[in-house]
Amino acid sequence: MAAKTHRVLPGFGLALGYTLVYLSILILLPLGGLILKASELGFGQIIDIALGERSLAAFRVTFGASFLAAGINAFFGLIVAWILVRYPFPGKRFVDALVDLPFALPTAVAGITLATLYAGNGWLGQYLEPLGFKVAYTPLGIVVALTFITLPFVVRTLQPVIEDIETEVEEAAASLGASRWQTFVKVIFPAIFPALLTGFALAFARAVGEYGSVIFIAGNLPLISEITPLLIISKLEQYDVLGATALAVVMLGLSFILLLSVNLLQWWTANRHKNSEPLEVAAAKASGVTA
Amino acid sequence: MKSTRATQEPAWVRYGLLTVGLGFLFFFLGLPLVAVFVEALAQGVPIYLEALKEPETASAIGLTIGIALAVLPFNIAFGVAAAWAIAKFEFKGKSLLITLIDLPFAVSPVVAGLIFILLFGSQGTFGNWLSEHDIKIIFAVPGMILATLFITFPFIARELIPLMQAQGKDEEEAAVSLGASGFQMFWRVTLPNIKWGLLYGVILSNARAMGEFGAVSVVSGHIRGETNTLPLHVEILYNEYNAIGAFAAASILALLALVTLVAKTIVEWRMKQETEMLNTVLAPEKT
Amino acid sequence: MSIEIRNISKRFGNFVALDNINLDIPTGELVALLGPSGCGKTTLLRIIAGMESADGGEVLFSGAEATHLHARDRNVGFVFQHYALFRHMTVFENVAFGLRVKPRKERPSDAEIKRRVMELLGLVQLDWLADRYPSQLSGGQRQRIALARALAVEPKVLLLDEPFGALDTKVRKELRRWLRRLHDDMHISSVFVTHDQEEALEVADRVVVMNHGKIEQIGSPDEVYSSPASPFVYQFLGNVNVFHSRQQGAYAEVERGEAAEKATAFVRPHDIDITHQPADDGLQATVQHVHPIGPVVRIELLHGSEIVEVELSRERHESLQLAVGQSVWFRPRQMKVFGADALPRSTPEKQAFLF
Repeated sequence: MAAKTHRVLPGFGLALGYTLVYLSILILLPLGGLILKASELGFGQIIDIALGERSLAAFRVTFGASFLAAGINAFFGLIVAWILVRYPFPGKRFVDALVDLPFALPTAVAGITLATLYAGNGWLGQYLEPLGFKVAYTPLGIVVALTFITLPFVVRTLQPVIEDIETEVEEAAASLGASRWQTFVKVIFPAIFPALLTGFALAFARAVGEYGSVIFIAGNLPLISEITPLLIISKLEQYDVLGATALAVVMLGLSFILLLSVNLLQWWTANRHKNSEPLEVAAAKASGVTA
Repeated sequence: MKSTRATQEPAWVRYGLLTVGLGFLFFFLGLPLVAVFVEALAQGVPIYLEALKEPETASAIGLTIGIALAVLPFNIAFGVAAAWAIAKFEFKGKSLLITLIDLPFAVSPVVAGLIFILLFGSQGTFGNWLSEHDIKIIFAVPGMILATLFITFPFIARELIPLMQAQGKDEEEAAVSLGASGFQMFWRVTLPNIKWGLLYGVILSNARAMGEFGAVSVVSGHIRGETNTLPLHVEILYNEYNAIGAFAAASILALLALVTLVAKTIVEWRMKQETEMLNTVLAPEKT
Repeated sequence: MSIEIRNISKRFGNFVALDNINLDIPTGELVALLGPSGCGKTTLLRIIAGMESADGGEVLFSGAEATHLHARDRNVGFVFQHYALFRHMTVFENVAFGLRVKPRKERPSDAEIKRRVMELLGLVQLDWLADRYPSQLSGGQRQRIALARALAVEPKVLLLDEPFGALDTKVRKELRRWLRRLHDDMHISSVFVTHDQEEALEVADRVVVMNHGKIEQIGSPDEVYSSPASPFVYQFLGNVNVFHSRQQGAYAEVERGEAAEKATAFVRPHDIDITHQPADDGLQATVQHVHPIGPVVRIELLHGSEIVEVELSRERHESLQLAVGQSVWFRPRQMKVFGADALPRSTPEKQAFLF
């Protein structure tokens, strides 16, 4: 836009300027510093550190447990979202509000509570251990903690999408002779699948970076139940700043890829059923013409 | 429900799903929430209250509230500014900016703490300069505030951007065409329209600010009575096998979480009510 | 206050919203900007209001340069398509807004504000709603409050964007008459945007027909209806029946003289007469359908492979006694011919199709 263009609403320059400066100082500059620090090492060395025995094991535990937790939440989250939208039951509003508990409860609190619940003498542990399920202080505990922490993501992404399904579509399927199961598989599930995938990806991304809740329940045994964020901290405590930086950069890179795929996924969800508009209308819309 | 409609599952499926879904929530949400309070009160109320009175717990509460209050104005200013620019104006690179605002969500809290150590730590980029001028950021409160700012960065902007986009700019344009100055327009028209959304964002970012563990833990140095927030204090007590003390402190945080949930639900309800009011279809007028 | 628009152009990216627009609006006139969606009419209105800035050209208010004047200082009353009432303020506060935000020196006292607001609410006949919120009003009431709010600052020009677009037919008709009266009482210049030709023809002193960012014709409602300057205006203006005639093709190809220039003739359905007797200036056709619709009877004729739509009065139809399948002759009473360059050609003296 030409410089002479004036805008009716005030404050654009100020608002955007402040946004960019604040974003740069607080977010971009520090992240840039991390990458700069990592560049002291060089690509080869970063890979060497990341593929070291202990780091590799940590990555495996972190990503494996996160994947499992996100998977558990995808399955149960779908059920929870479904019953919250579709079925009436007493106390529904309370349950609905409670779903956000993991967002509101500090992770440290979740960590010590879950550790206590699943310990050998805990409420749940005392029944699970005789059955051969040792949860606390094992990789399984990590999965439990991550499942708790990321529980709301799938439910909250799915809920509005399930609400938006028009019942007419389901009625149409039924009137055409589809069984309820066929309707679900062929009509409902395809409609909610992108949201399910988005919820899964969001949960996974959050789980990978999680630290507070995991360290209390994990046991933190190197090579077995040590997660990458913890390894970063222990490297830092041993004054191995470069080692910590290397791991952090790898995690950051992977997180970016995840964030990007979530964005792509959401863009795809928003656009996949849009008909291509006539060029002129699209251009006019893009620039906000209403005439 | 007596009859099965075409778009409803058979009863056994419905009850099965209800059982599985609610059972999952019970074991993963309900039980832990109850457990916090049961553990905290395991040896009776007097001992619980005693644990809360410990001076270090009190100072941790103070620091937690202090940091949350310090962060709040920055987050509000940024959230409103970013949402104003993004929702009301067209410019190049807007979607990139939105993605960048979300960035802190994708960064592990531990990494968020680390980046400030790399900048301001004793071996960091500005480390020498800071120690020469006797300024302490890392292992001190300023570093904890920075880490918290990083972690809570997107919350308010993310609430306000879609809200302000949905509201459009008609009302602001109307205010300007009626002669309002920028300040009058913002104060009388924009702010009343976004107050619930803003409050919602404040509630979310505040919960995160008070509960943050990883990022703050990295930069705090765990100095008792000085750089210990309540979540960090919970860890220290727990590692000292002081279960009652740990859970007493945790119960305050859990209470805070419940207050957050209630406040959030009320605000959500208010917002929903307002949108419903605006979308009311009115009967054709008879004059 | 008069408005002059000189060579105004505006693009949004590659989309040309306004292409070198020139328009004079004398003081006191009520002007309609009429055109299909995307024709640039709202953009032009927003440029006059100062909500949008033009890429080139000038806007003059009472002869004085106003192109770069801020919207706040233009003294223009703007009524938004969706009213843009302040949702968290009462009706009273909405109307009082423009007075309350005046600089302290010019701001009227609270008592004076109350008096003026109630007077305006009385003018729009809604003083009994002063304490309500916009969400508690009907569409028509919101529209009138939006008008009262715009009038509160005593604007020199009133600009309305699709003022009746969001209302149902009955309310729309009432408000149309009401706006006309209001305009006549207030002695200000008013410009309103509409895509509804009936609304433009009924309310406005002058109609500006726009298409693709250009002005197709400026004239009184009668002028633009009875002597359209272009095929577009011909097709866009008129009642629903004319629309049908355009779509279903009541046109003929005309050969003129030696040049054999291709041209198109436009005939409105009610300008066609049907006879049983062969006419040398008419065409033969078969009656396909007969639909009595209220006061008129619509006849579909098949001429070759072309469907021709004709509208007859009930009396004429009764005297003709048309039956489906019957062979008849038809001829236009009035037509307009446009060349391939879309410029009007002199209408043939004899009102007939020429071959």
